[in-house]
Amino acid sequence: MQTGTAKTILICEDDDNLRQLLRVVIGPGYHIVEAGDGDEALVLASEHRPDLIILDLMMPRMSGLDVLQQLRANAATDGMHILVMSAWPDAVEAARAAGADAFLQKPFEPDALTALVEEALGAPE
Amino acid sequence: MRSLSLSTRMIAASALLALLVAGVFALLIHAVLTLDDARDREARSKEVTAAGVELEKLVIDFESGLRGVVLTGDSRFLRPAEAGRRQLPRQIGELERLVAGDPAQRRRVQALRVAIDDYVSDYLIPIGTIARDNPDAVRTSLATEEAKRRTDAIRATFNQLLATEDARAAASAESAETQSRRAIVLGAGGLVAVALLIVLFGLYLVRSTAYPVRNVAAAASRLASGDLSVRLKEGGPGEVGELTHAFNHMAAELERRERELELQNELLRESERKKSELVRIVSHELRTPLASILGFTSVLLNRDAAPEDQRRYLEIIDREGRRLSALLNDFLDAERLDEGHLALDRELIDVGRVVAEQVRLFEGQSEKHKLDMDVRARPLPVHGDPNRLAQVVGNLLSNAIKYSPEGGTVHVVAEQDDGLVRISVRDEGLGIPKELQEGVFGKFFRGDAPASGIPGSGLGLTIARSVVEAHGGRMDFESGRGEGSVFWMELPIAASN
Repeated sequence: MQTGTAKTILICEDDDNLRQLLRVVIGPGYHIVEAGDGDEALVLASEHRPDLIILDLMMPRMSGLDVLQQLRANAATDGMHILVMSAWPDAVEAARAAGADAFLQKPFEPDALTALVEEALGAPE
Repeated sequence: MRSLSLSTRMIAASALLALLVAGVFALLIHAVLTLDDARDREARSKEVTAAGVELEKLVIDFESGLRGVVLTGDSRFLRPAEAGRRQLPRQIGELERLVAGDPAQRRRVQALRVAIDDYVSDYLIPIGTIARDNPDAVRTSLATEEAKRRTDAIRATFNQLLATEDARAAASAESAETQSRRAIVLGAGGLVAVALLIVLFGLYLVRSTAYPVRNVAAAASRLASGDLSVRLKEGGPGEVGELTHAFNHMAAELERRERELELQNELLRESERKKSELVRIVSHELRTPLASILGFTSVLLNRDAAPEDQRRYLEIIDREGRRLSALLNDFLDAERLDEGHLALDRELIDVGRVVAEQVRLFEGQSEKHKLDMDVRARPLPVHGDPNRLAQVVGNLLSNAIKYSPEGGTVHVVAEQDDGLVRISVRDEGLGIPKELQEGVFGKFFRGDAPASGIPGSGLGLTIARSVVEAHGGRMDFESGRGEGSVFWMELPIAASN
C-alpha cells in the first residue's frame, strides 16, 4: 500500500498527544500509519508491511512486549525494524530480549527520534 | 503436701533420713552397751566363783588341819590353818565386795562369814590352844562330830553360793549372746533401711528436680531454635511449678512479641510496596504528559510550523500541563489526607449547579460517550466547599468515561431524599469484579486499569470519599464484572431559611 517510494512507519501508541507529536517530529518525508493499541498494530503491520514500527510498551489490553513477540513470531513481520519506546529505562533489557532493534526513553528529544528513524530507514524522500 | 515447696520437701526428707540414721545408731549403741553389761556380769560371776572356791579351800584347810590335830595331837597340822586364818578377813572381804550388788548372794556370804567366824572361834582357836598346851587331851572325838556338822553346813552354803553364781554367769552369757545377735540384726536391718531410703530419696530428687529441669532444658532448646509455640505442662511442687509457669509465660511473651514484630514488618513491607508503587505510578503518569510537553515545546522552538499548527501544539502543551498539575494536586491531597488536614471552605451552595457545570465540562471530552443528566430538584442546598465537591463529581465522571472504553451513556442523577442530597453516576463500562471491590477506595488502587492501559494515579476515589466524609456524607458503589458501575454519594442537605 505504499505510495511512491516513501518508506512506511507504523506508530503504535495509546496516547493521542504523543501520536501527534511522533507524526510531527518524523515529518512529512515518510508514509505514517497510526495504531492506538496492540491489536490494531498487529492488523496494520500485516496490512501495510511497514519498514519501521515505533512501539510503546505500556498500552491498554495488550502490552507492547506482547505485540513485539507476536511480530517476531510471525514470518511475515519478523524482519521489520522495531523501535521500542518506554518511560521505564529498565524496560530496555526486556525489549532487546524480545527482539527490539532500538530503544527510546520517554520523554525524548525530537532530534533523538529523528536520528533513530534515519538510522533505520535512511534520509526521508 | 501439694503446697509444700521443693526445698521444704528436701529438708524434710533429709531430716527424716538423718533421724533414721541416728535412731539406728542409738539402738546399736544401746545393744553394744547391754552386751558389755552382760559380759561384765558374767566376768564378775566368774570372779565370785573364783573367790568362793578360794575361801572354801581355806575352810577345807581349817577342817583338815583340825582333823589332823585331833587324830595325831600334833599341833603342826594346824599351821596351814593358821596361815589361812590370817588370809580369811581379806578373802571374805573380797567376796563381799564382789557380791555387794546381789542381795541374795550377799546374805549367803554374810551367813558364811558368821558360820566361818563361829567355826574359827568355837573350834579352831580352842582346839589349837588345847593341842599346844595338852596334846593328848585333844585326841578325843567329841568335838569333831560337831565341827564336821558345822563344816558340812558351811560347804552347803558354799555350794549354794557357787551354784547360784554359775547360774548367773550362764544367764549373763546367754543374755550377752542374745544381745549381740540383736545388735547384728539391728545393725544390718538399719543399714538396709538407710540404703533403701537413700535410694528412694535419690529417686524422688530425680523425679521432682532432674526430670522437670531436663524438660525445661529441652523446651528451652526448642525455643532457641525458633519454635515459640513450645509449652510445658504446668504444675509440680513449689519451685518446679514456678519454673514451668515462668517458662510458659516467657514463651508466650516471646511468641506475642514475635507476632507483633511480624505484623510491624508486614506493615513496613506494605508501606515499602506502596512507596515503590507510588514511584512507579508517578514516573509513568508524569512522564507521558511530560513527553508531550517537552516534545511539542522542542518542536516549537527548533522547527518551523504553520501558525495553526503552533496553536494546536500550544493547546496540547497547555492541556498536558494542566493534567500534570492535577496529578500533583492529587498527590498533595493524598499527603494532606495522610496527615489528617484537608482544608475545606464552608459555603451554602447548590450542588445541582456544581453537577451541571461538571457534566458540561466533560461532555465535549469524548466522542464515544453520551452524558445524560437528570437533576430532579433545584436547588440542592449543601454547606460545603464548591471546588472540592466539583473535584469529586469530576472524578466520578472522569472514571465513568475512563472505565467504559467502548463508549456508551453515562447517567448522572442528582436528587433530594429524606434530608440528603444524593448524586449518582452510572456507566455502562467494564465494571469492577467482586474480588477487587474491597480495595476500590484504597490509596493507589487501580484495579485492572494498568493492564488495560487506563491512566490514573489511583488516588481520585480515595480523595473523593475523604472529601465527602469531611462534609458529613458518605460514598459507595455497586458494580460487577462487565456490568458497569454506579458510584453514589450522599451529603446532608442544608436547612433552608
